[in-house]
Amino acid sequence: MRTADLDLLQGTLDLLILKTLTWGPRHGYAVASWIRDTTNQRLQIEEGALYTALHRMEKRGWLEADWGLSENNRKAKFYQLTAQGRRQLRAQTAVWTEYAGAVFKVLQTA
Amino acid sequence: MTRIPGLRRLMRIERDRAGVDRAVDDELQFHFDMTMRELMTNGLNPDDARREAERRFGDIQRTREKLATIDRSRVGRERRAEWWSGVAQDFRYAIRGLRLKPGFTLAVVLTLGLGIGANATMFGIVDRLLFRPPQFLIAPARAAALYFGVTNRGKENLGTSVSYPTFLDIKANTSSFDAITPFFVDQLAVGEGPATKEMKIGVLGADLWRMFDVAPAIGRFFTPQEDSLPTGTAVTVLSYAFWQTQFGGRRDALGRQLSIGSAKYTIIGVAPEGFVGFSPDPVAAFVPVTAESNAEIGPGLRLGRNRSPWYQNYGRIWLSLFARRKPGVTVAAANADLNRAFQLSYKHMLTVNPKRTAFDRARPRAFVGAVLRDRGPDEDNSAKVASWLIGVAGIVLLIACANVANLLLARALRRRREIAVRIALGVSRSRLLMQLLTESLVLAALGGVAGLAIAQWGGGVMRHALLDDEVTIDSAFTDPRTLMVVAVLVLAAGLLTGLAPAAQTSSADVSLALKSGGREGAVQRSRLRVGLLVLQAALSVVLLVGAGLFLRSLSNVRNIPMGYDASRLLWVELNSRGTPTDSVHDALLRDQLRDRAAQLPSVARAARAITVPFYSTWIVSLFVTGIDSVGALGNFTLQAASPGFLETMGTRLIRGRAFTNADAATGPKVMIVGQSMAARLWPGEDALGKCVRVLADTAPCTTVVGIAQDVRRTSIDKTEMHYYLPSAQFRPDQGGLFIRTRGAAPEHAEEVRRALQAIMPGASYVTITPLSTIIAPEIRSWKLGATMFAAFGALALALAAIGLYSVIAYNVTQRTHEMGVRVALGAQASDVVGLIVREGIVIVLPGVALGTVIALAAGRWVAPLLFQVSPKDPPVIVGVVATLLVVAIAASWFPAIRASRVDPHEALRAD
Repeated sequence: MRTADLDLLQGTLDLLILKTLTWGPRHGYAVASWIRDTTNQRLQIEEGALYTALHRMEKRGWLEADWGLSENNRKAKFYQLTAQGRRQLRAQTAVWTEYAGAVFKVLQTA
Repeated sequence: MTRIPGLRRLMRIERDRAGVDRAVDDELQFHFDMTMRELMTNGLNPDDARREAERRFGDIQRTREKLATIDRSRVGRERRAEWWSGVAQDFRYAIRGLRLKPGFTLAVVLTLGLGIGANATMFGIVDRLLFRPPQFLIAPARAAALYFGVTNRGKENLGTSVSYPTFLDIKANTSSFDAITPFFVDQLAVGEGPATKEMKIGVLGADLWRMFDVAPAIGRFFTPQEDSLPTGTAVTVLSYAFWQTQFGGRRDALGRQLSIGSAKYTIIGVAPEGFVGFSPDPVAAFVPVTAESNAEIGPGLRLGRNRSPWYQNYGRIWLSLFARRKPGVTVAAANADLNRAFQLSYKHMLTVNPKRTAFDRARPRAFVGAVLRDRGPDEDNSAKVASWLIGVAGIVLLIACANVANLLLARALRRRREIAVRIALGVSRSRLLMQLLTESLVLAALGGVAGLAIAQWGGGVMRHALLDDEVTIDSAFTDPRTLMVVAVLVLAAGLLTGLAPAAQTSSADVSLALKSGGREGAVQRSRLRVGLLVLQAALSVVLLVGAGLFLRSLSNVRNIPMGYDASRLLWVELNSRGTPTDSVHDALLRDQLRDRAAQLPSVARAARAITVPFYSTWIVSLFVTGIDSVGALGNFTLQAASPGFLETMGTRLIRGRAFTNADAATGPKVMIVGQSMAARLWPGEDALGKCVRVLADTAPCTTVVGIAQDVRRTSIDKTEMHYYLPSAQFRPDQGGLFIRTRGAAPEHAEEVRRALQAIMPGASYVTITPLSTIIAPEIRSWKLGATMFAAFGALALALAAIGLYSVIAYNVTQRTHEMGVRVALGAQASDVVGLIVREGIVIVLPGVALGTVIALAAGRWVAPLLFQVSPKDPPVIVGVVATLLVVAIAASWFPAIRASRVDPHEALRAD
């Protein structure tokens, strides 16, 4: 049961990160803050896992990273969606919507 | 992602392990700093903020390592992809550059192709002769051919042949071998009727199959029972190729009868594709040695007083033996064992033939040797010459590489500005080197393909023209060993030719090249090119000296007075093939054939004979009054000849008379002796009228009626003591014919064969062989050496000339300005020409000197392969030096003429 939870979380985390980056390049801290703020801190995401996901997606070629300057003029690593990443986001969004819809339907038939 | 080729990405720092770690730390540091700042803004004290940040993050150390691992693998992959894209780009760049200059590319590819082709050709031949073990052979290291030496009159005859009883003795009395078998190739008529053709037949013992890792393609191999005395069983195993061509690969070939030689054999199996046993050539079929000997030799020996069957006759020596040492038996132990058995056999032979050389004087010995005959102790010179030619081919390749390096260097010099610009733009030098090497490797690879084509063609030419089809050479394109050698050569040539321009590039001074025009520094830089030229000239001298020495040897060999005109003679051999005859008919048939041949318009003369130079000899006992033992004076070989024989052969009669029809069977016995024989038997006396008793000291006198010119029949080094008896008086029912044609003999062979075959009875047939074909192997090594050294030498010289021309021409273009000044100051055209030509000679001279020294030093090793020529032969060396100088003058002549026509106005205004 616990593994299933994690798997779900894994895919979900990737999806959230990809979605976050659709508004433009962000560094890891910004991604983490944005997710936390948007979900009103309801999703408790370990930030270590978030960075792991970022790096893994960079390796897969979904994201592209470059060093730039942050708002407060510090050197930071900025992540950006690649064409492949956008495709991935579309595909995963579709899967997730379908999945959520199915679960929701089951819960409705009480 | 688009990338600028060759540019280092300035923003990317995590290229190595430390860089990756640092980047991860920087990223995480930024994250913690930001998180803590936010938390502290919200009112937490620094300690609480840190604890909260760490809680939110999770296991920091583990995450840090995980991130580093992911990044390292990503960076590695990126670098590999970048490298490959670089290679692909260099490759495309090289191809594009070469396509823009088709003339240059063609010249380079051809030059390298000739060099690589020469090497591949020679490798194919030498590999066959010396290195490659027979296909399918099990444990080649333990397999051996057996060699036997018997001393006769103080001289050891070393060979591979023994009699069948000796084979049986050795087989019975040795314990070192787990297989021992006769194997030889016989030329026999195969098939029946007009389709009959002489083919090579492998003759072997049943043990042979065990020495090879082979299974029959269909059917089975023959068994020891089918290869047993006295007659064997007439069964045959076809070669795969013969089965395919003659039986269309059909299974029902099994059980059919096939005429081979004098007998019919039942087909019991087909050998796998490519199997030839120990033969250097393809063979048509394999037959048991017992069955073949029984059919071809007959149950009893017809000649002489000894009428024992072939398998008991120690005098009939014709089997080559092959054996395999048992595992763990050393060569020394096997030699001792074999030697003992052979000596035992010799002693046994002496009990049967007590008149043979006594044991103590014969000193029989035997040992195991290389399976490949050309590596054995009785190798002929061809293999040695071929090994030399490998070295020669290597030199040709070196010269070709030097030339190509020179061309590439000239190109690199022309491209100095382009290269400097690229370096200034930040393209790394290592990438530039890679690019230049890629170009030369692509050129070398194209050269390799051209080389394979040349080797394919050259191998065929060598095989037909020089090796008399005695060696099979695989197609260069499909032989893996040749392909591997070519691949290595391509790599070596690519690196070698790319090296000079690469060195040039890496030492290039960017600012100098950008500032100055094309002129500065060019003269200094061509020093490397001049060095290459000196090397080329030296190597050319070495090869040309070799060519000269071999050509002189060949001409010496060809000018030897053989005592007969080999080029105009055909040898006609009769094969009875089981057609029953008697000696009266045999004698009559031979006379008929001679008369029929003499009527042909293309035939000048025809005469009967029983022995053939370099093919067969006949020795019988002679007795002369006043001489204790004629045999002790040397070997006296005999020829039984019909009237007209000497004219047919072109052998001069010195004194006395030739044979006539009056020298009939019943007439007084007569003989003609050669000069050497006359001088040996009757020194200081007139041989005419002397009495010789043939075969026995009780025989009636055979009177010497003529003295003939000496002939060379077994060795081209020395004349032979030779004599002639009338065919009518000695073996009238044996032997064949010599036919003197009006033109070159080989052209008339088929015509003569058809005419003579028409009167052959039954299944019997004639074979026609030009005498020149029989003698060819004797002069093969000199012919091989002369042809190949000359070909390679000419190639080397041409390459050196092209190299010299291109360097001089290049220098002249570089010095247009200087020439203009000279002309403006009043230099005549002849002064300018003289200046340039002198320069060409000055470049070549040190090379010539160096090459001469090398040639003189190497002469010691090549001397044994020459024929009556000193390796320091002055005419050859002087001739070669003169040739080189003439070539140097010719190569610099045209650039010199061009330089002399420089218009001073234009030359000075330009630039």
